[in-house]
Amino acid sequence: MTTLLMVLVLLAGAYLVAVLEGWVSTGRLRPAGPILSAVALLGRESLLPRKPDRIFFEVAPPLLLVSAVLAFAVLPLSPGLIAADLATGALFVNAALAFVMVALLMAGWGPDGAYAMVGGFRFLGQLVAYSMLIVMPITAVAMRAESLVTTAVVESQAALPNAVYQPFGLAAFLVAAMAVCFLPPFDLPTAPGELAGGVMAEYTGWRLAVMRLARAALVFTVAASVTVFYLGGWLGPVLPPWAWNAIKTLLVAAAMLLAGRFVPRLREEHLLAWCWKIGIPLALFNIFYVGVLLLVVG
Amino acid sequence: MSAPANAPLRGAREGEASLFRRLVARALARELHAFVVPGAEVARARGIDLEAAGLRLADTPRHASVLVLVGGLPEALKDAAAVAYAQMPRPRAVLAVGPGDVSPLPGPDVSVPPGQESLTRGVAELRRSFAGGAFAPEVAEFDVEALRTQTEYVCPMHPEVVSEEPGSCPRCGMDLVPRESAGGMDRGGDQGQDQGQDQGRGHGQTDNPGHDHAGHAGMDNDHGVHDQASQERSGQGGRDGAGRDATDHDPEGHPGRGEEELEADEEDATGYGCPMHPEVVGGGPGSCRVCGMDLVPREDAAAADGAAHGPAHGPAHGLAHGLAEARHGSRGGDGDEAHGDADHGEGSGGHEHHGEAEQDGHMDHGDGTGFMSMVEMTRDLPRGSDGLPMERIEVPFGPLFPGLPGGLRLSLTLDGDAVAEASAAGVEGRPFEGPAEPVGGFADRLSGLDPLSPVAYRVLALRAVEEAAGIPIDEETALGRAGALERERAASHLNWLMGFAHLLGHARLEARAARLQLALLRAQDAAEVARLRDEVGKLARGVERTPLLRRKLRGVGPLPTACATDATAFGPVARAGGRTTDLRAQEAVYPDLLGFEPALRDGDDALSRLLLRVEETRRSLDLVRRANAVSLLPFRPGGAYPDGTGSATVETPRGAATLRVWLEEGAVSRFELDTPSSAHIELAKPVAEGEELADALVGVASLDLSPWGPPPWVPPGAVR
Repeated sequence: MTTLLMVLVLLAGAYLVAVLEGWVSTGRLRPAGPILSAVALLGRESLLPRKPDRIFFEVAPPLLLVSAVLAFAVLPLSPGLIAADLATGALFVNAALAFVMVALLMAGWGPDGAYAMVGGFRFLGQLVAYSMLIVMPITAVAMRAESLVTTAVVESQAALPNAVYQPFGLAAFLVAAMAVCFLPPFDLPTAPGELAGGVMAEYTGWRLAVMRLARAALVFTVAASVTVFYLGGWLGPVLPPWAWNAIKTLLVAAAMLLAGRFVPRLREEHLLAWCWKIGIPLALFNIFYVGVLLLVVG
Repeated sequence: MSAPANAPLRGAREGEASLFRRLVARALARELHAFVVPGAEVARARGIDLEAAGLRLADTPRHASVLVLVGGLPEALKDAAAVAYAQMPRPRAVLAVGPGDVSPLPGPDVSVPPGQESLTRGVAELRRSFAGGAFAPEVAEFDVEALRTQTEYVCPMHPEVVSEEPGSCPRCGMDLVPRESAGGMDRGGDQGQDQGQDQGRGHGQTDNPGHDHAGHAGMDNDHGVHDQASQERSGQGGRDGAGRDATDHDPEGHPGRGEEELEADEEDATGYGCPMHPEVVGGGPGSCRVCGMDLVPREDAAAADGAAHGPAHGPAHGLAHGLAEARHGSRGGDGDEAHGDADHGEGSGGHEHHGEAEQDGHMDHGDGTGFMSMVEMTRDLPRGSDGLPMERIEVPFGPLFPGLPGGLRLSLTLDGDAVAEASAAGVEGRPFEGPAEPVGGFADRLSGLDPLSPVAYRVLALRAVEEAAGIPIDEETALGRAGALERERAASHLNWLMGFAHLLGHARLEARAARLQLALLRAQDAAEVARLRDEVGKLARGVERTPLLRRKLRGVGPLPTACATDATAFGPVARAGGRTTDLRAQEAVYPDLLGFEPALRDGDDALSRLLLRVEETRRSLDLVRRANAVSLLPFRPGGAYPDGTGSATVETPRGAATLRVWLEEGAVSRFELDTPSSAHIELAKPVAEGEELADALVGVASLDLSPWGPPPWVPPGAVR
């Protein structure tokens, strides 16, 4: 029952993310837009490239979706509403998101097209840049909660959300969060003007619909994880817990979608350089800083 | 004008029109995604806003349902348009904006005259066509010459050996492998599609010597054929050629060849070597002691290997390279490693017990599991700038690529994601064919030459003809033309900025530039143009303040140093590098009447070109304000045009263009035209080579190339 509800919530979240994305890119709010797009995509042919690596080509879109679903399963929406309350929940998020790279690499490799392949390998480089920035901030979050259980992480923020307690961790995690969903300016694997769609370029019809659904679900999941780790999840006055969670998650998603409009796409070398030279020291400092706070303040 | 609304689209999808399908068709009609040929910038240059008309722009034909043709297409782009159409999933439609023959595409489903209002009506009609005719019980195949695939056979080692029949290479005796030579997709484009906007040249033509993607598919373990070929060869050559079979990993199938055979060979000729193992040198013809291949004369060995044999065969190979190389293995079927690498495998298989097979780093991978070490796979590949060997692939960017002007064929040979080699070509304009053009028609045709700056070429034609006929220009005319030119310059720079922002992935800049560009083109008079000056100023400040933009562009796309001395760079590209080549400063009207001063920067990179163009846009609007006119006065009505020769030069938005005309009997009998872009296109190669892919594209885009080359002049009476 809970699982079914969680699936519905994820679908609804992906839908809202798609509406937000349409609003961000066209300036018009079309509540029915995603349905029309989906039906239109289903009505069109789904072509196979000439010499696909069939398994990779077919598996990549569902795998991307699976990765989002797995990560979402361990995020609590309200005190009792969580699909799988794992003892290692916070770490599991990171593990599930690792499949994003696998899915995109497969999507890049599968169609046997140069644009897609360059896009796929670019994402491998992107993973090298962002992956530490997912784990290290989560470490500091878990230190404060003294637990990897995601519900415990939320409860640990009752007095003060982590966004205020450890802002450096939030900054690093947000960068990684946008990079993992390859949102602009981290859209190196899809790069509309550069690679003509990159890893998505060869998908059409229902396969493209699955890919886009997976991407929207991924954005929602990642926004939900920012909410859980840094914004106190369901905590908040007056409104019911689920509403707080929904509002925070959608705001994070909207911010992530909007931010990319104002800056150009990053260069791969800059992304790597900044993540490793600035991001990782910052995340390390964050761990140290949180440790000191915990020792001193308690 | 077009088929009735209920008739099926020409690109309908197969299926009975059930209730469910009708609902789907309605959704399809609401969601029209357009792929624009030749490019979105051509539509914008004509003041057509496709998004306002309800079409969303798609970056790849795969994601589009409408192929929008803007203006008549030059011959060179028609095949590209057909390939793009074939790549679009059904249901699909063709929307022609403006007249023009669209063959080989199926006739346009909807055809409208140029203009925003007619386009809006056309899109509405297209929606009706989709709603009523997206599905049809029977659909026509789309089959044109450009899409057909031909198979030819090439030697994996000697790319110059091409045959229409399967067989073995006359030079090294290897089996020829099939490769697709033209086209890139199957009939109808429904099942077999190749990648991208590549003119249908998929991997079939993206081969580099000896590393043939398409060859993979052809090498599907057809042992029977290979064995047969081997036997034929051993019969002819009198020696055991089976060891050359690229797909056979069975050691038993390859009786080992001892060195005595090698020694027994004649030694009268000089300088023979193994094509695969440069260290194996024989005094005469024979076979390689390592791999058993025939030795070839030394010049041939050098020619065949060329760059393929890097100096270092060391084991330093990065992860990415290994992964890139793993592509070979997974593509080649189970265990048949294509390419010359297979020869190593066979060599170690055949000489398993000789010991020497391993001595130069060969690993034994003849065990049939399909595993091949990275060292093995990459040892003969050319080295990139980082010294790491990669398989190179040639990737076409254009002629229909979203980040570059439509028509520009940029072909990049990628070494990983660095550009090893680059070449660029434009589109040849439609030829001017005799008889001689009357002067009025000549100006019209010349202005149609480059859709990205029609006004500049019209002014050029006017000036050249007036010079030839000795017609004086009054101040009013000069000011009007200056105003019109400056308006176009500003609009052209903004148009470029929009495409550049799209390439950079900067959505907000793209939207702002597009809005301003359209407002500028649609402005009725000089006062309205001048009012846009403040918005352009805001845009310029926005560009300067955009975070990360400077970091991204600084140092990208520098010109080769030779450009500083010999004048191969023109216009904004030259001025961004501090070289003054602004002809406007030498014309009377600009400095005297308008107080013009050319803008200059000294960065010589993409950032400096961006900032210079933004600055020029601002100054151009200042000039329009001072000129207070944007009118293009036509030729003197009813004027007489005495015979003569004249030339004129105009600073177009991309640099100086020069035109010489010959007038005879009141008509232009001949002309010569030099455009800045025909020289600039040559710069794409040095700008792109050695750069990372993204930087190479940014560098090329920052040159603001116009692919629309000058037309060849066809003398009257000549037969084409």
